[in-house]
Amino acid sequence: MMSESTKVLAAIPGMFYRKPSPEEDVYLNEGDKVEVGDIIGLIEVMKTFYEIKAEKAGILESFLTEHETMVDAGQELAILTEQSE
Amino acid sequence: MIHVIHPGLQTTIQDGGRIGFYEVGMPPSGAMDKYSYAVSNLLVGNNENASTLEITYLGPTLEFKVDTVIALTGGDIPPKINGELVPMWETLEIKAGDQLSFDFVKSGARVYLAIAGGIDVPQIMGSRSTYTLCGIGGLEGRSLQAGDKLEIGTDNERTPIVGARIEDKYIPTFTKKHEIRVVLGLCSYRLTEESKERFFAIDWLVTPEANRVGYRFSGERLNFVDREQPFGAGSNPSNVVDLGYPIGSIQVPDGVEPIALLNDAVTGGGYATIATIISSDLNKMGQIKTNESVRFVSVSIDEALAARKVVKNQLEEIKQQLNR
Amino acid sequence: MARYEYGGDEFIFVELSEEMSLEVNFQAMAITEELRKENQPGIVDICPSNASYMVRFDPDKIHPDELIAKLKDLEQTVSINDFEISARIVDVPILFDDPWTNEALMRFRDRHQDPTSTDLEYAARINGFESKEELIKAITDSPYLVSMIGFVPGLPWCYQMVPREQQIEVPKYVRPRTFTPERAFGFGGAFAVIYPVQGAGGYQLFGTSATPIFEKDQRSYDFKDSMTFPRQGDVFRYRSITLEEYEEIRKQVEEGTFRYLTKDITFTPKTVLEDPKGFSEDVLRRLYA
Repeated sequence: MMSESTKVLAAIPGMFYRKPSPEEDVYLNEGDKVEVGDIIGLIEVMKTFYEIKAEKAGILESFLTEHETMVDAGQELAILTEQSE
Repeated sequence: MIHVIHPGLQTTIQDGGRIGFYEVGMPPSGAMDKYSYAVSNLLVGNNENASTLEITYLGPTLEFKVDTVIALTGGDIPPKINGELVPMWETLEIKAGDQLSFDFVKSGARVYLAIAGGIDVPQIMGSRSTYTLCGIGGLEGRSLQAGDKLEIGTDNERTPIVGARIEDKYIPTFTKKHEIRVVLGLCSYRLTEESKERFFAIDWLVTPEANRVGYRFSGERLNFVDREQPFGAGSNPSNVVDLGYPIGSIQVPDGVEPIALLNDAVTGGGYATIATIISSDLNKMGQIKTNESVRFVSVSIDEALAARKVVKNQLEEIKQQLNR
Repeated sequence: MARYEYGGDEFIFVELSEEMSLEVNFQAMAITEELRKENQPGIVDICPSNASYMVRFDPDKIHPDELIAKLKDLEQTVSINDFEISARIVDVPILFDDPWTNEALMRFRDRHQDPTSTDLEYAARINGFESKEELIKAITDSPYLVSMIGFVPGLPWCYQMVPREQQIEVPKYVRPRTFTPERAFGFGGAFAVIYPVQGAGGYQLFGTSATPIFEKDQRSYDFKDSMTFPRQGDVFRYRSITLEEYEEIRKQVEEGTFRYLTKDITFTPKTVLEDPKGFSEDVLRRLYA
């Protein structure tokens, strides 16, 4: 089995959230399996929420940015490990 | 024709703005960074008021269906044609079938994409600028969406020269710390002397609430002079009898977070305004992002007029050079 | 004493008074009207407001200090005594205490002075009325001067033409709402407004106007020349209507056949200031004649 890590980056600056709303659970926990298109988190800017989606399938290894912190464009949000048989 | 494959975060059609209707409460809209906007049109031979695309934070993916000429100016959101990086501040040739896309924003906040001839949408009150709150101007009064098709207009007056480039000295650079010049005044008498000083003394952080309507800043509380509120004003010490807000004016509702009112802002209301961003620095405001910091600098009206002249002269020089 | 202030390098703001009154609004109207007549080059926008006014100019054509000198001159020479206002009297039907406004305002109780009552109940209480019905009666008994246009396209600030002691005054929300329904009828400070479009807002909400203030398609008769209906100097009479009449008017608006009931009027500030009650009765008589 091969594995390769990629970093998930913030496409835009703003407030990073790991939950869809304050009352709900996080989209993903560390160690969760991720499919292409799965939502990893949200960035709020200009009164809109932008979804950060997985561009590759794999395991969400770890978050590099905490829930509800301000991020810059290009900032590393999480590490995704791709797995192939 | 241009096809919108991916719209970006907020991409709107903007021109010089809807001018002369402030008295009925119609804000000007128009390009936030008028300097970059003007240069983009100059590079493709358009007239001064041709409509461009204003791209914010995250670039769109566009497919051109015709041969044309374009230019990209403003903040550094690196553009790519068919996946190859291309320079900004330069006249670029486009072949039918070419795809334009962008990397992540490196600096600044907004890019202007001018296309020879401009973008052909109906003029509303003399302008093609998008004003989303009332749903007028631009394409159906909204930001671009995937699947939109843009027609190219006829607002060109000169034949552009592919490869023409703006000299480096005319290209602004953007960092994460900004100085914005303001003229203190309007209702600044409402602030205590100490708060007036603090307003200019601290770095204000740009909150996520920063868009074409206005920018909200966090920093520290500002205090108002105690008084019995005048009749009709409302009870909060930051309230005044509702009055007109200049474009670029700054207010501090309840003393909590200052808000700078920009192109799509409300034209009046009941909060004390304390200063106004000078016209030349409104261009800079348009290139400031959330999470960056701003220091306000107090200038006199003569300094404001001199700064305005500098911008005007630069645009004139660029025009001369491109016409040679 | 009026204050003349730079609003950056493109605006001059003139505060005629910190306090609202009919006199000062007439003064702002008279000065800006004179300025408009003079048709001076370099003037981009002339915006009269409640107790102040603002001028947008092109500093490449006129120096701000030259403009201020001109405006100070107008302050000295223009008098409301020889000023005549030609305007419209307009019947504006309002459905007070309606379900949609109440639904909206209940969502923002945590931003209000009194989370336990509605905006109408709260405003009635702090203005010394026995009930919300009494407050509605006071709001609809006398007409209003449209004293300023702005905020968003067409929003009319309306100041009731009654003596100071009869003026209704309410605070604005503690924190502004992020949502206000289109055509909501609100009150803040001493001003009644109708929100032309949906959006943020901080005024107390009392009801909904059946009729539009802003019409971007410009379909109906009253919007042929402009997307916005109100003009400064207009005299608005807010009339309380039933749900049945509201629905009938909405149908006409949606079909594009609605037309405001208006009458032309020419009046002087003096007639209003000397006998507001008489003026008010005259207005209502003419409107419904």
